[in-house]
Amino acid sequence: MIRKPVVLSATAALLLATALTSCGQEGDGATSDGTSKGGKPTVCLVMKSLGNEYFQTMEKGAQDHARQRGDLTLTASGIQNETDIDGQVAAINRCITDKAAALVLAPADSQALVAPLKRAVKAGIKVVNIDVKLDDAALKAAGLDVPFVGPDNTEGARLSGAVLAKALGKDGKVVILEGNPGAANAQQRKAGFVAAAAAGGLRVLDSKTAHWETDEAYTVVSNMLTAHPDLQGILASNDSMALGAVKAVAAAGKKNQIKVASFDNIEAIRPYVKDGSVVATVDQFAAKQAGDGIDQAMKLIAGDKVQGWVKTDVKVITASDLG
Amino acid sequence: MTSVTLGRKPHPASSLAQQVMGEAGIGIALLALVAIFTLSAPKFATSDNITHIATEITLNTMLAVGMTFVILVGGIDLSVGSVMALSAVVSGDVLTAGGLSTSAAVLLAVLVSALVGMGCGLVNGLVSERWRVPSFIVTLGMLNVARGAALQYTDAKTLYDFPESFNRFGTSTLLGIPTLFWISLLMVAVGHLVLTRTVFGRLVFAIGSNEEAVRLSGHRTGVVKVAAFVIAGFTVGIAAVTYMARLNIASPILGSGYELNAIAAVVIGGASLSGGKGSMVGTLLGACLLGVLTNGLLLMGVSDFQRQMITGAVIMVAVVVDHYRGRLASRLVARP
Repeated sequence: MIRKPVVLSATAALLLATALTSCGQEGDGATSDGTSKGGKPTVCLVMKSLGNEYFQTMEKGAQDHARQRGDLTLTASGIQNETDIDGQVAAINRCITDKAAALVLAPADSQALVAPLKRAVKAGIKVVNIDVKLDDAALKAAGLDVPFVGPDNTEGARLSGAVLAKALGKDGKVVILEGNPGAANAQQRKAGFVAAAAAGGLRVLDSKTAHWETDEAYTVVSNMLTAHPDLQGILASNDSMALGAVKAVAAAGKKNQIKVASFDNIEAIRPYVKDGSVVATVDQFAAKQAGDGIDQAMKLIAGDKVQGWVKTDVKVITASDLG
Repeated sequence: MTSVTLGRKPHPASSLAQQVMGEAGIGIALLALVAIFTLSAPKFATSDNITHIATEITLNTMLAVGMTFVILVGGIDLSVGSVMALSAVVSGDVLTAGGLSTSAAVLLAVLVSALVGMGCGLVNGLVSERWRVPSFIVTLGMLNVARGAALQYTDAKTLYDFPESFNRFGTSTLLGIPTLFWISLLMVAVGHLVLTRTVFGRLVFAIGSNEEAVRLSGHRTGVVKVAAFVIAGFTVGIAAVTYMARLNIASPILGSGYELNAIAAVVIGGASLSGGKGSMVGTLLGACLLGVLTNGLLLMGVSDFQRQMITGAVIMVAVVVDHYRGRLASRLVARP
């Protein structure tokens, strides 16, 4: 007797849930009527998860920069989570539909996004790659030449790791906390840490992922401390994991014996940089990165040539920087 | 009421035998795992490591206690992880607001966290009861609402800098075991008593087995079902404060996927996803098994990918074993 209403309401709820989800994917309330307002070109900024503080900062920086320049209309959008590749493809397609003049993309995957980008290029849209570099081989195979404006993650991690290597001295025993397996920036940061360890004579005892996450890093580090009681240093691929590592070290009563090097410079890490538990973190200036990307896109629109890798700043942050 | 209860448990002695068999199965699996890890990972059976395991399973145990109630009435709560993030950021805001003495701020934070959790649970329960929507769908909606609300509330920023004493409590131990783990055990104990010693507990089981019969015998099943979701929300609120005390941060993206770990613990503990079957002790053992597995594999140096495969496989094996164990138990009981 109540069968039909159940099905009906279930369908309604599912529709609602879908609507909610797609709202998340559409991101902010940017205008979608893409036509140039007052002759200004529209620049599409497609980022990763806006739930990530880093991309929040990036979006704000981009909006500020666009307002300052005043010669473009910016539509910014993000996706559900770091791996929502579909959401990014949909965002790129929207830019094509909106006939945007340029597209600035922080790709969720360095290979999967090449195909939709090719469609955008064919539609006459100028494309600039920011944040994480698109895969060179995939770009070549698609016959695309997309300039990259972004930080050198490998170099950043190398610099952060070098601070730790200096603090520990030769033969210091360290472990690496990796980001999501398969993510390009996770791989690059790991490579940077490995290079720093090799240059500084550190011994890497173990390397495990904690999926960028604080609680998981706490668990992983607790276990690493058990497995390697003589551990002296931890190379964390982002600050969220470093926060978990610091707490695990403190819980094991080794607060002054184990140092952490990290990456990202989020606000929550600063107290630990100040008290010396974290010897270094890295700022990639997210806000400036998007601005630089927009500048390059405007150059392309104006007909100038932009090629290769326009490197943006990476800066190691230590206790002395925070005063 | 009586007829309903008897309908589920034909004979008190047999139900006890069944229960012992049920718990013994998962207990044996846990002991086997412990034995394997003790032999293959030298540092596994050390007091430090046991403290680690207790720390690691605290959150999941708390969440699984609430999840047990929901699953027993035949529901499911997918919003656990997101609601936990919302509870954490709202009460984290209370903690860092200033103006109050530390102890007052902490008490208020715990209260706020529990209330946010219970509020979300109330909405989950009411919507699924009032409009007869499967809780799977309602809590899927809440998963998005709560996560979005947490991000909106904090502007995606991580809250930090909680009172020193709050953080000290979070890392303190009592008799060598983390204080927070004792709290999770207390929650298991209270949950067990509520399920086994109260009319409400009996109704929870009865509704999961045969809701219509309970309704026909004159009970308001809706109230009990909504209460199960509110209890789940309460445990989420407590887990949120636990997370904050331990890690000294409250992030709007914390807890994603925690609902699945809680469900896994409950199911490994012998509960049936169609309701009416399960126990709090089983849930605790299920959470222990998952924790021991993660810990042992990490200590053995198993790679990330292999660890993921093994954990998944163990969940599947546990459910299959549970199927045969149930048969074996009823066969044993059927013997004169």
